[in-house]
Formats: sequence, C-alpha cells, structure tokens
Amino acid sequence: MLIFKTTNMNLHKINKINILIIGALVMAGSCSKFLDRPPQGQLSKDQVFATDSNIVALGNGIYTYLGDGNFTGGRVQVLSDVLADQLDGSNLTGDFSEIYKRQNSIFGGTRDDLYKKGYLIIATSNNILENLQAVSADHQAIAKGQALFFRAMAHFELVRLFAQPYGYSSDNSHPGIPLRLTTATNSIPRSTVKQVYDQVIADLKSADSILPADAEDGGKFYTATKWIAEAYLAKVYFQQNDFANAFLYADQVIRSGKFQLDVDFTSRYSLGATKEAILRLPNEVNHFQPGSEFISNWRSDTKFPTLYFTSQFYNYATGDPADKRTAWYSNTIKPGYNSLTKFNFNYMEQPLTHLTEIYLIRAEAGAELGGASLATSVTDINLILTRAFGGTSRNLSGAATASAVIVAARTQRELEMVGEGNRLQEIKRIGVRAGNSIDRRGSPWNCNGFILQFPKAEQDANASFQLNPEGGCF
Amino acid sequence: MRKKRLLARTPVLLCLLLATLFSYAQNKTVTGKITDQKDGSPLAGVSIVPKGSARGTSSAPDGSFSIIVTASTRTLIISSIGYGSKQVDITGDIVNVQLTATNASMNEVIVVGYGTQRKREVTGAISRVGGDKISEIPVPSFEAALAGRAPGVQIIQGNGLAGSGSVVRIRGVGSISASGDPLYVVDGTPIIADPFLRGNGGAMNQNPLSSINPNDIESIEILKDAGATGIYGSRGANGVILITTKRGRSGKPQFAYSNKLGIATYTKKLDFVDGPQWLQLRQEAWLNDGHTGYATLPQGLTWAQASQSNTNWWDLLTQKGFIDDHSLSMSAGPGKLKTFANLTYSDDQGYLKNNAYSRIGARLNMDYNVLSNLKISLTSAYNRGTNKRVHAAWDGGIGDAMSSALPIYAVYNPSHSDYYRTTTNPVISLNEYRRRQTDQRLLGGLALEYQPIHNLFVRGNFSIENTRSDDDQFNTPQLDSSKHTGFAQRSANWGTNETANLTANYLWNPGEQHKFNFLLGSELQDYTRKGYSTDPITMNTNQPFWENSGQYNRLRDSLFAAKVPITEVAQERFTFNSFFARINYTFHDRYSFQLIGRVDGSSKFGTNHKHGFFPAASAAWNISDEDFMKDIPQLSYLKLRASYGIVGNANFGSGLYYDKYNRGTNTYNGLPTLYLNGLGNPDLKWETLHNVDAAAEFGFFNNRLTGELAYYYKTTTNIILNPGVSPSIGFTSIYRNLNNSKILNQGLEFSANLKVFDGKDVKWSVGGNIARNQNKVLEYELGPDAVSGGTNDTRIVKGLPVGVNYLVRFHGVDPSDGLPIWLDKNGKQTKTFSLDHRAYVGAVQPDYFGGFNTSLQYKGLELSSLFTFVIGGNIYENSAKYQFLGVSKKFWNFRKDFLDHWTNPGDIARYPRLVADAASYPGVPSEDQFNSTMFLRSASYLRMRELTIAYRVPRAALKNLFFKDFRVFATGTNLLTFTKYPGGDPEITRDFENSQDRNLSPNITYLTAPTQKTFVFGINANF
Repeated sequence: MLIFKTTNMNLHKINKINILIIGALVMAGSCSKFLDRPPQGQLSKDQVFATDSNIVALGNGIYTYLGDGNFTGGRVQVLSDVLADQLDGSNLTGDFSEIYKRQNSIFGGTRDDLYKKGYLIIATSNNILENLQAVSADHQAIAKGQALFFRAMAHFELVRLFAQPYGYSSDNSHPGIPLRLTTATNSIPRSTVKQVYDQVIADLKSADSILPADAEDGGKFYTATKWIAEAYLAKVYFQQNDFANAFLYADQVIRSGKFQLDVDFTSRYSLGATKEAILRLPNEVNHFQPGSEFISNWRSDTKFPTLYFTSQFYNYATGDPADKRTAWYSNTIKPGYNSLTKFNFNYMEQPLTHLTEIYLIRAEAGAELGGASLATSVTDINLILTRAFGGTSRNLSGAATASAVIVAARTQRELEMVGEGNRLQEIKRIGVRAGNSIDRRGSPWNCNGFILQFPKAEQDANASFQLNPEGGCF
Repeated sequence: MRKKRLLARTPVLLCLLLATLFSYAQNKTVTGKITDQKDGSPLAGVSIVPKGSARGTSSAPDGSFSIIVTASTRTLIISSIGYGSKQVDITGDIVNVQLTATNASMNEVIVVGYGTQRKREVTGAISRVGGDKISEIPVPSFEAALAGRAPGVQIIQGNGLAGSGSVVRIRGVGSISASGDPLYVVDGTPIIADPFLRGNGGAMNQNPLSSINPNDIESIEILKDAGATGIYGSRGANGVILITTKRGRSGKPQFAYSNKLGIATYTKKLDFVDGPQWLQLRQEAWLNDGHTGYATLPQGLTWAQASQSNTNWWDLLTQKGFIDDHSLSMSAGPGKLKTFANLTYSDDQGYLKNNAYSRIGARLNMDYNVLSNLKISLTSAYNRGTNKRVHAAWDGGIGDAMSSALPIYAVYNPSHSDYYRTTTNPVISLNEYRRRQTDQRLLGGLALEYQPIHNLFVRGNFSIENTRSDDDQFNTPQLDSSKHTGFAQRSANWGTNETANLTANYLWNPGEQHKFNFLLGSELQDYTRKGYSTDPITMNTNQPFWENSGQYNRLRDSLFAAKVPITEVAQERFTFNSFFARINYTFHDRYSFQLIGRVDGSSKFGTNHKHGFFPAASAAWNISDEDFMKDIPQLSYLKLRASYGIVGNANFGSGLYYDKYNRGTNTYNGLPTLYLNGLGNPDLKWETLHNVDAAAEFGFFNNRLTGELAYYYKTTTNIILNPGVSPSIGFTSIYRNLNNSKILNQGLEFSANLKVFDGKDVKWSVGGNIARNQNKVLEYELGPDAVSGGTNDTRIVKGLPVGVNYLVRFHGVDPSDGLPIWLDKNGKQTKTFSLDHRAYVGAVQPDYFGGFNTSLQYKGLELSSLFTFVIGGNIYENSAKYQFLGVSKKFWNFRKDFLDHWTNPGDIARYPRLVADAASYPGVPSEDQFNSTMFLRSASYLRMRELTIAYRVPRAALKNLFFKDFRVFATGTNLLTFTKYPGGDPEITRDFENSQDRNLSPNITYLTAPTQKTFVFGINANF
C-alpha cells in the first residue's frame, strides 16, 4: 500500500504521480491479445490444412453438397424437368413458372441458389487443390482426385444449364460459363463451351488416373472411385455426341464388374438397396439426407405435388400396361394430378449416376458406332427391356437395326429416367445430332430461353459480364 | 473468467485512489454544491472565488466544489454566466448554493460524452429530449417517443407487433452493409442494441431497446455532429444517443407514482374483398385469360366448398388490447447519500390476439459522498421484457390474413372436429402455437469520482451489462395433426458487456478571461454473447419450457452429459480499446473552442488496420454578448457554432475478417464434415465519415422565441459492402471496404419554439422542427442490382440516394383491352413488360420530416399535442403486387382498392384487367417479377402523434391531503393520420433481414402489421 505524507508542498509531485498511474493504466489496456477475438466455432485456413483428417472432412462436406437440395440433390434435375416437355406447368408460380415458360429472367433465388452451390463445390475443390502440399502422401491422391472430380462435375452440370449445348456452334466458341480453376475472387468472363468441356474432360481424366478402383467402404461406393470419373466421362462425351469415347468409358464402367443392375427397378432410390449406383450418397437418419428437392417437388402421397405431368406424357408413359414402370405414375393418388410416385419417400438414397444410364449410353453410342458395337447395344437394351416388362416379350431381336436400337435406347432412357432431369439434355443433344427439335412443346432446341439466365449479380460485379438473351422459345 | 478480469483491473484503480488520499493540513477546506434554484440540477463550471483573492475554482460536473481558503476568508463569490453573481458567507465547512438563472435555456446542462457542458459552451450539435417526453406516451419501445422531438432525427416507429423497434436515423444514412443505427450509451455504458441478435426469426427483429424502462429516463441527448460524437471516435458516425437515468436529489424522501391504463388498436387496416366477391373476381380473371367453365381453385377446392366459407381472418386474429403501466419511484437525499429507486410494471397487449409485451423494471441509483472530494456512485437496473409473440408478415398470422388466408377457406372442417388444414389457416397457429421471448438486462455500474487536488477530477467507472434472452416456442399436439405430442424448444443466449473507463478532468483558469477544461481518458470494452452449440434445444413434451423450466434444465444437463456433449459457444465477441482527449477553451465566456482526438482499436477491425485515429475540432461564438449586438433589443441570444471532424462507423459484426471454415453438424457416411463457408478480409476496417456542421442558435423577444438553424455536410468513404462479388467465386458476399465509394448526406435543420402567451394563468406555446436531408451516392462502381437490400426492391446507384426504387414504369391501362401500358427505358410506351425497362423512379428517404407541437395551459388544465410529418419519398408496396394478382394462381386476398380495374372495353381504370396467370400480361416472366410503379406510392403523411389532456390539481387543494402533486391525464397516440397512401399505415418498419436491408428498405412494406393506435388515461402523483 502506498502512503503519502501530504502537504501543499508536494501537490505537484502527487499530480505527477497521478498522471503516471493514469498512464500505466492506459498502457495496460493496450495489450494486443485484447484486440484479438477470433470467432468461436470456426477454423482458420491454417488450422484446416494442418491435418489430413480436416482435408478428408472438407471432401466429405462436398459429398453432402452433391446430395444437397440446391444442387444435384434435386435442384439441377428439377429445373431441367421444368424446362423440358413432360410437365403440366399451368399451376407453377414464381421462379418455376418463368423457367417453365422458358423465359428465365435475371432474378430468381431458385436458380441463383443452384448456381451458388455449384460454384461453392468448385471453390471448395479449388481450395483443396491449392493446399495439397499440406496433405500427407497417403491422402494426396484421393484428395486431389476427388477435388478434380467434384470440380469437373459441377462445371459440367452448370454449363449444360447456363449455356447452349455442345454443338450449338460448329466450333463451340459460343459462351459457356466462368471457368474457375483458382480461388481468386475477381470477376472473370465466361469461357467458351469448348474451353469448359475441354477442362471438364481434362479434370475427369486426371481424376480417373489417380482415384482408386475400390472405395474404402468395401463396395458401397459412398466415395469417389475411378468409375465415377469414367461414368462422367461417358456422360460428357455422350452429351458431345462423341460416341466412340462415350462407348469406351461406358464400356469400361460396365466391364469393371463393380456394379449390377437392380433386379427391381424401384430400388434405385431406396435406402441401402441399390447395386446400380456408381457413386452413392447415403441417407443418415438425423444427419445428411440427400435428395430433398426431389421429394419436396414430386412427392404426391402426403401432399399435392408441385410437379406433375401433362396428360400427353402421362398417357405416353402409361400406355403399355405390361410395363412395370407404370407403377411410377398415378392419376388417382391426388385426383386431377398426373403424379409421379417415384419419390414418395420420407428419405431416399441417391445414386449420382447409375448403371442403367451407363447401359443406355453404351447402347445408344454402340448403335451410333455400328459394326461390332451394335450387338453389344442390342444386348444392353434388352437387359433394360427385360427388367421393365418382367420378361423378354418386348425385347429387340438380335437383328435389330442401328436406328431401331437408337429409338429404343432413347425411349427407354426417357422412361427409366423420368423425374431424374434427363429429358432436357436429350432434347438438346438430339437437336444437335439431328438438327430438329423433339420438344413436345414445340420450341426449337436452341432457342434462347431453353437455358437458364445467369444471376444478375455476375453483371453487377462486372458490367462487361455477358448475360444470356432471354425468351424467344414460343 | 469474468470475475477474474474484473479483479485484475480493480487493484490498479484502487492504487490510483489510495495513492491520492491525503488531507490538507494548513488552510481550511470548504466544500459544497452549486445547484439551479429552479429544479435543483447541479451546475458545472461555476466560478467560486474567495472574496479578496484572485485564485478560485470551478464546480465539477455534478455541481460540487472544494476549495482551500485561508482561515481568514469569510465570503465566497459564486458567479456563472447566465446566473449572475452571488456572495455567500462561509458559515461552516460546507456551503451549498442555489443560483437563479437569468437565462435558463442558455444554461441548461447538456450531457456530452464523458461529461456535461452548459448549453452556451457546447460547440457540437446536440438535441436534448427530457424524460417526461419519453414516458408520457405509450410506445412499443422508448426510442419511438423521440419521433418529432428532435430536428434531423428520423424515427420510424416499429410496426404493430408488441415490443417492436423503430428505425432511427440521425441526419440520414451513409452506410450500405454496415449498420446505420446510432450508438446507444446508457449512463456512460455503450449498450448492446443490435436488432439482429435473432436475425429475422418469425418476421420480427428482436429489439433489445424495448427492455429499457422509459420511466427511468431523466434525459436523452442526441449527438449529431463530429463536435459532439467525435469523443466516440470509430463509433460516432451514425450519431450517439446518450440516455441518462434519474438519480436521487437532496432532501427528504419523495415518492412518485404514475400509471397508464387503456387500450390499443391498429391505426389503419387494409380492406379485402369477401368470399363471394373473391370468387367472382377469380372467375373474371379466369375468363379474361381465355379459359372456359369454372375457374380452378387452390388445393383442389371445389366451388361448392368455397361458397360455404366467408371467413374474416383479420377479425379472427385481432382484438382490442389492454395497456397497463405502473411506476413507483422514490428519491431521497439525506446527508451524504442520495438514492433513486424505481419499480415499473407494464403490459402492452397490442391489437393482435395472443401478442403482448410486458416489462418489469427495477432501478437503484445511489450516490454517496464518502469524503468531500470522493464520491461513489452506483447505477443499477434490472429489466425483464417478456414478449408473447405471434406469427406475422411472411411468417403467417396477421400476414396470412393479408395474403394467402382467403375468405373462401374454412377455419374448421365440416363436422367441427378439427381445424380445416388443407388450406392456409392462421387460426391453427393462433391457438396451437405459442412463443415467448424473454429478454433480461442487468446493467450495473460503479463509479468513483475523486478530486485529488484543486480542479482535477478523476473518475473511474466500471459497468457490466448482462443480457439473457430465452426464445421459447411451443407447439401443442393439435398444431400438426400427424403429431401426438407437443413440441417445445428454447433458443437461449446470454451476453456480458463489460466497460471500464477512466477519465481525468482538469480545469485550468490561467486568468479571468481564460477557461480551459482538459479531459484525458481511456476505455476498454469487452463483449461476449454465448449460446449452446445445439440451438435450439428441443423436446417432445406437452408443456412449454417457460411453464416447466425444470424440464428444460434437466434436458440441457443431460445434453451436457451426453456422449457428444453440447458446449457453450460464443456467438459474438468483440473488444474496443480506446484513448481519448478533449480540450475545451473558453475565452471571455464568449468564444468556445473544442478539440477532440480518439484512438480506437477493436477486434472487429482486420489485422491490417487494428487502430484508427479520429480527430474533431469545433467552436462556438456567443455573438449576442458582443457589444455590437447589444443594440438589437429584440435579440436576446445568438450563438454561432461550427465543427469539423472525422469519425467512424464500426457498427458491423464481429470476426468478419476471418476465413470461415466450419465443422459440419452433419456427418457424411458417419464421418465428420467440414465446410468452407466464407472468405475473410484482413483489410476490413471502419467506415470513415467527414463531418462538417454549422449552426446558429437564437433567442428573440426575451427568449420567447428560441430556436436553431443548422447545416451539415457529411461524406462517408471506405463504405463497407458485403454483397456484390461475382457469385461464381462460390460466395456471394465478402465484407470489405469499397474502393472509390462515397455517400453524401447534407442537410438543413430548423427548430423553433414560441411562447405565444406566457401569462400567469394562460400559457400557450407552439414549437416544431423540420429537417431536409439530401442523400446521394457520390462514388460507387458496382451495378444497380449488386445491392438489393435483401428482400426488397431498392437499389444503390451512383448519383442517387441510398435505397432508390428501380422499377418498370407503369403508364396506365389501355382502355381497349385492359392491358397495362409500360414505359421503356427511353420513356416510349410499350405493352410488353421487361426488366430492361426498369428506371429510377423514387427513393425511400423522405425530402422533409419533422414534428410540431403545441401546448395550451389554463391554470391546472393542459391540452397538448404533437404532430409528426413526412414530406416526399416513396413507399413501395412489395406485397401489393401479389394482392393485386390475388385472383391469379397466386391465390392471395384481393384488396378493395384494386376494384378500380378494367373489366370492359372502353373502361378508364386505374388498374389493368385481371389475369389468371401474371404471365398473361405480355412480357411478365412471373408474378414475382411484376414490380412496377403500379405499386409505388407517395410516402407523405401527417400524423397526430399525441393528444393529451391533463389536469393538475392546484396545490392549495392538496394542502391537507397526502399528495404534494396530483395530475390526471388522458392521452391518445396515432389518433389521426392524413395520407394518400392506399396500403394502410404509411409509417412502415418492416421485418429486416440485416442492417443493409434496414438501411435500404424502410418504407418497403411486405404484409407489415400497421402501427398501434392507443388511448390511455392515468395519473401522476407525488407524495
């Protein structure tokens, strides 16, 4: 304790002491840690890339994005189906309504959320790729291969929705989407469709070369293997009408022997039942639940479905009572609605690409190639038909022509993959291939409104960003 | 942790105090206090000089003084400008003096940051509103009572939900993503006033200010320019609202009781068509679109079913609410201890059924003069606000009644065994859903004021603000027919806001004509708000948590003991570390100069900009004291003042400059997940405001006419923006200071008060204020839609005000076919809608706003009234487009004002033909993209904010009664509103998503509940 003998004489001294004490108190406050309050519940970049387990966890996070309702957990597929020609859109409102009318405009959260999620997959993948030096050699190949696959699939899904299809211009120099290969935050212009496809293929091939043939989970295929990279290569090449490469990669996936067609076609989305999935996004009770957007839009047993079919398509799809797939439809579960029952679940497991699609790619690509491949195609299509009709009654004969196989492959593709967002890209691919539009609603396959508009935010961040022309489909 | 830190700081403070405890041995010490004779308020800066000596002292901010005089000194000369001079005999050690004002308004004591000043010496722009004005009307939250009271202070009262908060803007808004809200300081403590602590849950922003007890407030000072807010440095840009609570006064105990009892209803409501008319309009729209037969109805409803219901949902959801408010206070000041205590209970039920805000408040403020030169002050208050919430706006409830709850929908199924659940039915949640949000605030401060030597005043203040918020929701088993038990949840958070400051104030008068006041200070603030890692905590139960807290506590404890235990997580934490200095110099009692400097460091600022320096200079000239002005007899007072300063805006979230990686709450295939959720920015810092102010304060005719004219010019740079990045980077927002950004707010404020009659029995005064603010974005490089205020339709565009309406222009209706005619970008008429036609057509900020009041007194009877007004600016009715399209497949209620629509060729109508699908209007992509000037309105209104009739019983009549003073009154608020706005109430504070939304979209309405209208009567009694 400090005791001062005080008189008027030492007033000045005390004054100085006071000032010193005040000064000391002031200094005590300037401790630098005091101004450091990192937010709790989050990690810094240094902390994340300090351990392999964190990098694995970052990859696991992206798997949940693949099954996220805003991206391939339904939104990509649903918006594709809304744009396509199977739905009765007369009661759709808001964003769905304008997409249905093929006049998607600069605003719309439904579309923006899809775009953001796609690019978030890309950004997180780039984030991993830029910090691979932090990963131990054991995990590096998987971390890199996964990230390349994620980046490629997201770019591929986005370029198909936001740009005119591959083949729209002869050299594919028409505008694609921003190609993001780093985490830089500046605005970049759209790359050409060719540049995007070239990068997607390059990424998938790199992924194919370094991803393992077997997932660590013992055949469940909950994580990426080289086969999902090859399945996507088959899809990408098929979309390009590059049948030789599409056949090649589809063939490799099928011949890997890792996957089997489900005996019962309804098990594709059932919990734990499918053997078809090349990459399977599992449902976890009270945790990650993929495919929410399929269920919320299509479900027709507990509520009125948002999406339902025109009578034209409904009659077409249910015209053959022998087809077991007619169980996917009902116009009585909610009277007045031509409903799909495929997604009448509380929860589902989601295959990200399934063997049925790969068989259908090989079938059509093989028929297009002709020659020795045609026989494989006939066998493939008959596998699908046999399952659908519970026997061989509708099978093609061994002598079926290439064009008959192509017709059958396209028909079976539409019926097998109903509600899976398949039809839109078929209208475009066939439009490029044949030069005419198979759209039941009568739009040219290459009309402006047949793709989604970019979020206006791209142009607000950079005035020279090129938006899509809108409308003009009807 | 918290106690430790407090203890760590205490020794330093104690050392400081002990080090300076000494006594004077030789001469005698005279202490005392100078107060105003009129109201007993302390007078600071009063000169105290021993007669026959040249050296004197000045009184401290609390009026106290201590002076050492020679034993022979018999008399003190006490003098102060505006109070004249008085000689007082020294009869003992204590001399208390009351001075009588010669010019009251000039000598009003104004609270400034870290001190007080006399009005004539104030160099900054400060508006003072007395506590009586705050507590006299029933408002959802105290700040709403400031409306119309202070020039340049725009208050948009919260909407009709009980307890809702107002938008407060002081001299415009200069921010986009950072908050434009002022800093609130209660008795020296910057309090937590963030309206987004709970985001926009349930379409209402939690208003932390509503728990503040209006009955506790002595005065509110609103600091507007850099000369005033400069002392708050990085937090002064949006203005500062200083709230000073009541303290005990010298003398015998005095008690005061006041109450208000009354009812609440809505100001204006929207009128919608009834069931049969809705069906008829639906059919009209159906046929207009070329369909035949009966129109389809929502959710598979048949026409027969629809015809059976004609539900008036508004009536089912509203009531006449009861208002009940009681306050009992005591002030006592015997000897060295002065105490103020207050207990308040209030309950405002509002006009929505099951909605109510109730508050209990207790305050104890004590001042104890331990020694003549040492005072300890305790400031403490506990407030608990309980908000019984209901769904609103887009979240249902009254919002449903204005949107998707159609009159053709039934409340109950035909057998009345259950609710009708297929279609929108807000009665289900009214009866089966309950939400109770309880906000508690404990604010305690302990201050030591010590005068170690003559003219040096050292003050140490430590305060803790503890807040706790429990948001409970409960679903009965009947809410969802598929559930068999109820469901309870609680989202809890609690915050600790510690502030410690130390100031030293030295008065130095080096000569008769020179007065200096030096202030040196430092301040630390440390705020942490925590919640649980699992939030909300939920369980299936048939009892809400607020009825059975044991149930909640057991559940929470079990979660702490779980295999993966929950933890306490800081939701927000920030610190400020500040040093500041202020020098005031007054020459000749006529010229006042002030210099302010503050250094602020904060954890909110990025690693590259941890500290900022904020200087301000200001001056005032009491020109009426100059000889050359003495010749103007009408002029009683004229003061000119000017200021320039740089202040900052640090009102944005914490930790925003860090990269954001979060561990997922989900696993993938049973394995942990991690997400990159945001990119950081180490360059993040405060916004910078350059602020110029010039003003004249005047009094004429013996101060019967007083007032002020002020001009200000403020430019904000380094504007913080969150959105506007290219979304293909994977993120749509990064907090950053925009390069080449500048926003201007310049304006004029005028206020005046006139005592028309000032007689003994009759007094009549009128007063008012008006402000014009020009707001303009001077520099900005992003596109018009980069910032869209979240859920609204306003924009930021260079050359235009913050929050402009960017809409397609609606020209009128083509009489031949009823289709809308639009104007394209070039003003050419077209019938094809396109978002490319959008133009800048309005702004949400008003041209002028203000208020005027009048008070007429005849003996004890008083009639007073306050009007508020807004001139210019626009309201955009974001929900009106859907209400107009209500009979399309949007299926919303249809407003009666839209009946003026085209039906037959040749009709001249205000609104176009009805359609069954918005896209039937050529070019309209969907009903969401139907924003046009069809729903843009003028925001002008005049509102009778308050009307009070009161009677004060004459003192003579009370003579033999218990009471010293007794007043009865009846008050109505928002009784009359004059406006051309067709959408209901024109004073609109909607639910906001974030600060940016709040900056850009006042006056954007989306199913916003209209403001309350109230009638109350009550008494004020002193005894």
